[in-house]
Amino acid sequence: MPAEESSPPLAGCRVIEHARTVAGAYAGRLLAAMGAAVVMLEPPQGCALRRAPPLLDGSGESALFAYLAAGKRSLVCDLLSPEGQHVLERELEGADILIDDTALRERAARGLGEETIGERFPGLVHVSVRPFGASGPKADWDGEEVNLLHAGGEGFLLPNGLSYELFPDRPPLKIYGHFAEYQGGSMAALAALSALWAVPEVGGQYVDVSVQDAVLAVGAFALQRLGDGSLEHRSTRRFRYGGVFEAIGGFVELLTLEERQWAALVELLGRPAWAQEETLRDPLERSRRGDEINRHIREWMSRHEVDDIVHWAQRLGVPAAKYRTPAEVVHGEHERARALFAPIALAGGAEAQVLVAPFQFLSSPLKGGGRVPALGEEAPLSAERATEPVA
Amino acid sequence: MNRAQAPLAGVRIADFTIHAAGPFGTQLLAQLGAECIKIESKTRPDAFRKPHAVYGRMSAATFDQVSVNKLSVRLNLKHPEAVALAKRLVSISDVAAESFRAGVMQRLGLGFDELCAVKPDIILLSLSSCGQRGPDSHFAGYAPLFGAWGGLGWMSGYSDGPPLEMRHVMDHAAGIHAAVATLAALHQHRRSGKAQHIDLAAREVASAMIGDALVQASLGLMPARPGNRHPSMAPHGVYPTRQPDRWLTLAVRSDAEWQALARELDRAAAARDARFVTARARLEHAVELDALLTQWLSTCDADLTAERLQRAGVCAHVSWSMCDIARDPHLRARGATTEVSAPDIPARLAVGAPARFSKTREVGIRRLTPSLGQDEDYVFGELLGLGGAERRDLERREVIL
Repeated sequence: MPAEESSPPLAGCRVIEHARTVAGAYAGRLLAAMGAAVVMLEPPQGCALRRAPPLLDGSGESALFAYLAAGKRSLVCDLLSPEGQHVLERELEGADILIDDTALRERAARGLGEETIGERFPGLVHVSVRPFGASGPKADWDGEEVNLLHAGGEGFLLPNGLSYELFPDRPPLKIYGHFAEYQGGSMAALAALSALWAVPEVGGQYVDVSVQDAVLAVGAFALQRLGDGSLEHRSTRRFRYGGVFEAIGGFVELLTLEERQWAALVELLGRPAWAQEETLRDPLERSRRGDEINRHIREWMSRHEVDDIVHWAQRLGVPAAKYRTPAEVVHGEHERARALFAPIALAGGAEAQVLVAPFQFLSSPLKGGGRVPALGEEAPLSAERATEPVA
Repeated sequence: MNRAQAPLAGVRIADFTIHAAGPFGTQLLAQLGAECIKIESKTRPDAFRKPHAVYGRMSAATFDQVSVNKLSVRLNLKHPEAVALAKRLVSISDVAAESFRAGVMQRLGLGFDELCAVKPDIILLSLSSCGQRGPDSHFAGYAPLFGAWGGLGWMSGYSDGPPLEMRHVMDHAAGIHAAVATLAALHQHRRSGKAQHIDLAAREVASAMIGDALVQASLGLMPARPGNRHPSMAPHGVYPTRQPDRWLTLAVRSDAEWQALARELDRAAAARDARFVTARARLEHAVELDALLTQWLSTCDADLTAERLQRAGVCAHVSWSMCDIARDPHLRARGATTEVSAPDIPARLAVGAPARFSKTREVGIRRLTPSLGQDEDYVFGELLGLGGAERRDLERREVIL
């Protein structure tokens, strides 16, 4: 892997991504953001994610695809045809990592079986990312985001806090977008880079990642609590006090876990008489009287501007944050100072700001930017292209 | 389980992380085979070593997921000699990881530059709520605040309700991303031999989970909070069944899947109903459709229905509690859940291997929660070469504490 010293972390790493799910595409996206050359193998009609909502008004372009495909290249390849197989073979020849989310029963016909790939490309890291994994009794089950968030245990626990208090009889609520699939995707990227690390010792190998497993992994504390003897439920999984509060102009998240933070909160509230009560110095007593404390906080919050509250709170050392809208995030001062976003040219010609990556490498900053790859923009040839540095 | 047979065998991490997000990330690397040495002290015990009343836990945790596979040593970092020992530990490590508020490592004398002075090619992972740089970098926060700052909290929630409070999954999502970035830096190091400082802001991981909405917002659009609805799928959501608090999740992606759903639920008339024949029609009549499904499923067994629908090619799954997860043979077969026990810990389930590897198979839990300082013979004695008398002296002077 020849690369210059200031090159990005994964310069020289060549990834073939064959993905129709957000999990598979996000794995490739993380690797691309860190400088890997990621080529999407797309069917002739284009990857399904190109049509996945949310769609942008006017152009009808997928905002989701623009986010997930930024920094990748596109190659059309019909894996059910001999030509397509030829392209696949040639692309894998020069690749370090293959990310595939094809359903198990469809793999053999596409030349994507574990054994076939392992025999032909012994140095390749072959990552399978499926809703329920590629082995185990439910490996052939399929699932979309809403199914997977609930199969991994987190869905059942949502919402908690204020949303649950307001609407206790409603069905559980999912997290926005593709949270479960992003966990599966980041776990697939982790597994891919781990297996790649071991290539000098053991050569390539097959890695089986499951979105359900990943959701469970990030929800590990609920399983830990079950081991401690308590079953979590959205009605009871809440902080005894603190949480979401409505203020003037928006919502505030407030959470005090340490003694000094409680003292600072009392200060923030203007040292009201109720909070000075001797018994409330005991954290256990505060937990017991959480509802009462929250009533006081709620009343106080409702009289103040959200921006003032978070400003005062952070100055006093009370952990508090405004629930920011996407517009506030994308135009945020902090985000701008950190260059979290970079311009991407959309297929329709417009320019959008796209999140570069949720981590920074201070000794070799990531660039981001570029454009959303047009379908099949790459000529299907390419030992040369694969070793070019990524823009 | 033999660490030599794991993919990250040979990688050593000096782990200064505390709470949930950072330790979860290093725990993943430890499950993948890295040797992870947790540096802690009696004076500033980590969250799992003390009661946590806000979470309803009244004593220290006996088993703590985020500390599995880790070695523990004590160093009282307020003492300059302890800082010097910490640096020696870093000098024989590949990675140092920390999750303090920005600036704390520098104040301790363990900032990136100081670490580079003792280990010129160190990889330092700094995980914090708001990052090492930027106007908010001094802000402290926890998972619910990451979600609030990052926009994920705003986008989640009932359409007519308040934003949603994110919990531990947000910490741990940051932890996975931290582990990914650390591995990328290791690859870079293998190639270049250079040092690297990773700056991960957990709130930006929350933003990464709404990357699509941020694209919309950058173009002046105002993405709406969709709740359980989906812009192109109907039916889509979480539905009550015959059993109380036993919900069925459904996502119908195509007309064929709609037909299959109607057939499996014996609703031939609905399958022909013009209001529901195409995806566009179903989206237009989503409210009526949800009401019908709620009615139909009210007599159905959730688990049997999920299995039947899966066989018919419809994405369905019961909303699982941790009891369901704990008794699931699929997760057990995959090693995603694994039984752990110790003399003081009755058998219980923990979250195991993050993935299944065909060659480097020994991925998973090898040791449970370390007692404070339990690995000092190995780390201080063998690795740093400190003699018994020297260590006793350091303990007496509360350098090791």
